[in-house]
Amino acid sequence: MKLRILLADDHEIVRRGLRALLEKHEGWEVCGEASDGREALDKAMQLKPDVVILDIGMPLLNGLDTTRQLLQHDPHFKIIVLTITDSDQVIREALDAGARGFVLKSDAARDLVSAVEALQNKRMFFTPRVNDLVLAGFLEKGNTVSRNEAPKLPTLTAREREITQLLAEGNSSKEVASLLNLSTKTVETHRSNIMRKLSFHSIRDLVVYAIKNNLIQIELPPPPKTPTGPTAA
Amino acid sequence: MANSQIGFPPRISNKMTIRILLVDDHPIVRQGLKTLLEGRSGWEVVGEASDGAEAVEKAQNLKPDVMVLDVTMPRMNGLEACRVLRRQAPQLEILFVTQHDSPQMMREALDAGARGYVVKSNAARDLLEAVEAVSQHRVFTALNGRDSAAVR
Repeated sequence: MKLRILLADDHEIVRRGLRALLEKHEGWEVCGEASDGREALDKAMQLKPDVVILDIGMPLLNGLDTTRQLLQHDPHFKIIVLTITDSDQVIREALDAGARGFVLKSDAARDLVSAVEALQNKRMFFTPRVNDLVLAGFLEKGNTVSRNEAPKLPTLTAREREITQLLAEGNSSKEVASLLNLSTKTVETHRSNIMRKLSFHSIRDLVVYAIKNNLIQIELPPPPKTPTGPTAA
Repeated sequence: MANSQIGFPPRISNKMTIRILLVDDHPIVRQGLKTLLEGRSGWEVVGEASDGAEAVEKAQNLKPDVMVLDVTMPRMNGLEACRVLRRQAPQLEILFVTQHDSPQMMREALDAGARGYVVKSNAARDLLEAVEAVSQHRVFTALNGRDSAAVR
């Protein structure tokens, strides 16, 4: 029987690349694709794939929260997260969310097949950087945690995190309500709870929080250059 | 400079051969772009590069018709590579495919001598049309949420 894989990334070009890579492997098939976390949740429930590959930086619901929600629904889901960064914080969050595989997007061509194979054999797969971090944590025992981790912020519920991401992506309370099938009033209650818990006063604070905590990921453009050569127009 | 060629009459041909050099630092993205491009009969990805310096080198050796170029890359970014190639390989047409959905970046890319600009998230929709346009020396630019605009 074929190993069935669900693929979630917001870039169609990346999904195409991943699909081509995975389907070269005999006995594997990509049974579905999703372009955001909410679609990934729906398709995972519906298709019951053997392995789910989730990009972390997806709109509507990021890959880490999608991982949490999927595993909450069914702890048997085997999930690999794809990430553009292997910062300590993202690694910790991915481990904490319950992902069994952690692959850097830039290394996906090399590592993703190994990662799926590992999960297929009931093992885990992490990029080498993760092993270093885990080992460092062991060697320094509790010290690393207390020294490196940001001051503990009040914990948001899964629903509050979801709403935080949607607000930080620029959706109004009304739009969030319609995306989540809630009443605008409920969303506004969540919103004021979030702002109160985090002691925030503006949406700007919320956007910064969402970026810092990997609810949304951004890639920065290269520094602007003063044009040197001949210019068009 | 680039404007002087905008008025070229397009060569109409469905079976046109186009040799393409693909430049992006993510192998997975290259793979995705490649499957898309090679779906067209007669189009061939003749080489791949993962940064601007490698792109410049391979462009000289392989002499492709079109270069599909990312902006953000290590060593030498796409804009720098584009400026160098504009001088070294004036016949080469350069098409940016980037995640930067920004008019400023698009302006900078065209100023650097590119003929086309496509946003990565729309590549599946825009790329083939864009490659076809720039291979015929026409300008093709399309930002997100806007209709593709092929300037003839």
